[in-house]
Amino acid sequence: MQDSSSIIHVENLYKIYEVGENHVFALNGISFDVQKGEFCSIVGTSGSGKSTLLNMLAGLESPTRGVIEIAGKRIEQLSENQLVRYRRENVGFIFQSFNLLASMTAEENVALPLRFRRIPKPVRLQRARMMLKAVGLEQHADHLPSQMSGGQQQRVGIARALIVNPDIIFADEPTGNLDSNTTAEIMSMMQRIVRKYNKTLIMVTHDNEIAGFADRIFHIKDGKISLIEERRKEGGKIEES
Amino acid sequence: MEFFDLLEMSANNLTRRKMRTFLTVLGVLIGTASIVVMLSLGFGLNKSTMEQIEESGGLTTITVYGNGSYDDYVKSGELKGVLCDTSIASLTKLEHVKLVSPVMNFSVLLRQGSYEQNTSLTAISLEAMKEMNMPIGEGKLPGKGDELSLIFGNQTIYDFYNYRTEENYWDTKEQPDVDLLGTPFLAVFDVDSYYSAQSGEGTPPKKYAVNGTASIKGSNEEYNEFSWNIYCDIDALQTKLKKIFRGRVIPGQPETKSGKPYAEFSYDQAYVYVDKMENVTDVQKQITEMGYEAWSNAEYLESMQNQYRMIQAVLGGIGAVSLFVAAIGIANTMMMSIYERTKEIGIIKVLGCDMGVIRQMFLWEAGFIGLLGGFFGLLLSYLLSFGINFFLGGLYSEGGSTTVSYIPVWLPFVSLVFAVLVGMVAGFFPAKRAMELSPLAAIRNE
Repeated sequence: MQDSSSIIHVENLYKIYEVGENHVFALNGISFDVQKGEFCSIVGTSGSGKSTLLNMLAGLESPTRGVIEIAGKRIEQLSENQLVRYRRENVGFIFQSFNLLASMTAEENVALPLRFRRIPKPVRLQRARMMLKAVGLEQHADHLPSQMSGGQQQRVGIARALIVNPDIIFADEPTGNLDSNTTAEIMSMMQRIVRKYNKTLIMVTHDNEIAGFADRIFHIKDGKISLIEERRKEGGKIEES
Repeated sequence: MEFFDLLEMSANNLTRRKMRTFLTVLGVLIGTASIVVMLSLGFGLNKSTMEQIEESGGLTTITVYGNGSYDDYVKSGELKGVLCDTSIASLTKLEHVKLVSPVMNFSVLLRQGSYEQNTSLTAISLEAMKEMNMPIGEGKLPGKGDELSLIFGNQTIYDFYNYRTEENYWDTKEQPDVDLLGTPFLAVFDVDSYYSAQSGEGTPPKKYAVNGTASIKGSNEEYNEFSWNIYCDIDALQTKLKKIFRGRVIPGQPETKSGKPYAEFSYDQAYVYVDKMENVTDVQKQITEMGYEAWSNAEYLESMQNQYRMIQAVLGGIGAVSLFVAAIGIANTMMMSIYERTKEIGIIKVLGCDMGVIRQMFLWEAGFIGLLGGFFGLLLSYLLSFGINFFLGGLYSEGGSTTVSYIPVWLPFVSLVFAVLVGMVAGFFPAKRAMELSPLAAIRNE
């Protein structure tokens, strides 16, 4: 059932951990497709397997069985070196704990992924400034992460994810460390950017309300998709899987 | 990632933990300095030995000792082991032999004013004097065919004593009032007859006027191997002796059964100069086969060098231990650094940093520690080496010219490369570990 326009195609994905004698099914046969430019969220309680799924999509963890095809590449078959390249060329990351390098200024943090792409320093910094401006932080370019609020740090994180112009952005509980006002601010910013640049965003969260910002919501329970909510149209539409 | 970016990141990581970096660098610094200084002591020892050997006529001289009496030669007609004019000539004909000089020690009494000394002249050929690099201070060496003249060692003046007061320098601590080069000496060549005449037997021998022509370089305090000898040209001495002892036996020379002198001189010792150092052993062997005792610096040098290699190994080993400890320090620092930066490594891995680059980054970081430690260690080594030479060099000679610690030109380069290598080897496993860290675990690490 692969759709030719889908950027992510997942088929029968399993992840089985062996804990002593028992087999724990972290993912128990998951299949779905994501279209280019879609904003999807994966919602589930702790231990539902949502983070495992995201890690696999990002090539940080390998599945026990199944197919993950992203931008035409079977990433479950790639070596670790190839995965690094895949991430460098296709993927942006936004983390719960921001994961900025404490020793670098906002600008340097944003420019960091460009280093690994052998882009010269002046170009790097110029693009980083542009990205910071896009997230409204041009005043804070020279600040260290420790000198910024959580919301600001996450905006730096977003700028860093976007600077490499990735096809797909993965966000793991991006607002998990933020208060509710900032959360709304960050979420609407992410929503706006995804629409504006036509990016595919996959976000993992345990919060239904935050998940509601997405076009489509995958509910995950016990390693299976229990429900897919379609929200692109006003009011939303619910379809059972 | 560009190479420069890589270096910058590594350097930045080091500057972030200044104290730790400093301590680790200090370890390498001490390690490098101890190796370099230890080795420099060995090199210094070797250098001063070589210089000494070079000074004492170099490495191409063989000293030959006679091993039989002239009477044996007369009886058997075999030259085996006998040193005389005939055998000197046959030694000269050996292959690779450049020059042979007999050595004759001849007892004389020298007198000037109230001072006299009873000494033994060392007579060698003029060519041999040049070959020995005899350092001349004042005056100049005699020419070929010149009248007998003396070359005084720079400390021989202390051998003169005042025969009127019967006091010598060691009694009075006053330098004997003798003019070595300007005023002629009265010399007694038949010392035995002189002393028997003094005790009332026979007539005193004739005294001859002899000039000093040169003195060995150096103050009265400086010692070298020529210091205590009085040299002269052997040809001039023999001409003089033949004239003085016409028809009689020259003291120290063999005589026939009827108490007559032989036509030629015989010697206890001769110097053989070989053209090249590598031929010394060969020539020496031939000479030994001819029945002589032969001794050269080659043997001495070999045993010295073996000894020196052992000393060098021991010294280097002591230094190496501290560098080894420093290497463990580097490995420890790198491990700490990786534990601390697990998260950071994960982040850059997720952001698309190649694994190889991560490894390189840590290797360079370790290499930097090595380089810094090596560089400052070298500075310290030069300082220590200078200090050692300054304070200890003077213990052996007044001028402070003895090299105790010597750093060859190539040593700093080698030790710098070595220090960087040690850093990198120590950093290898930590770097590998960093490379293989799972990015997932890294990100999870809160």
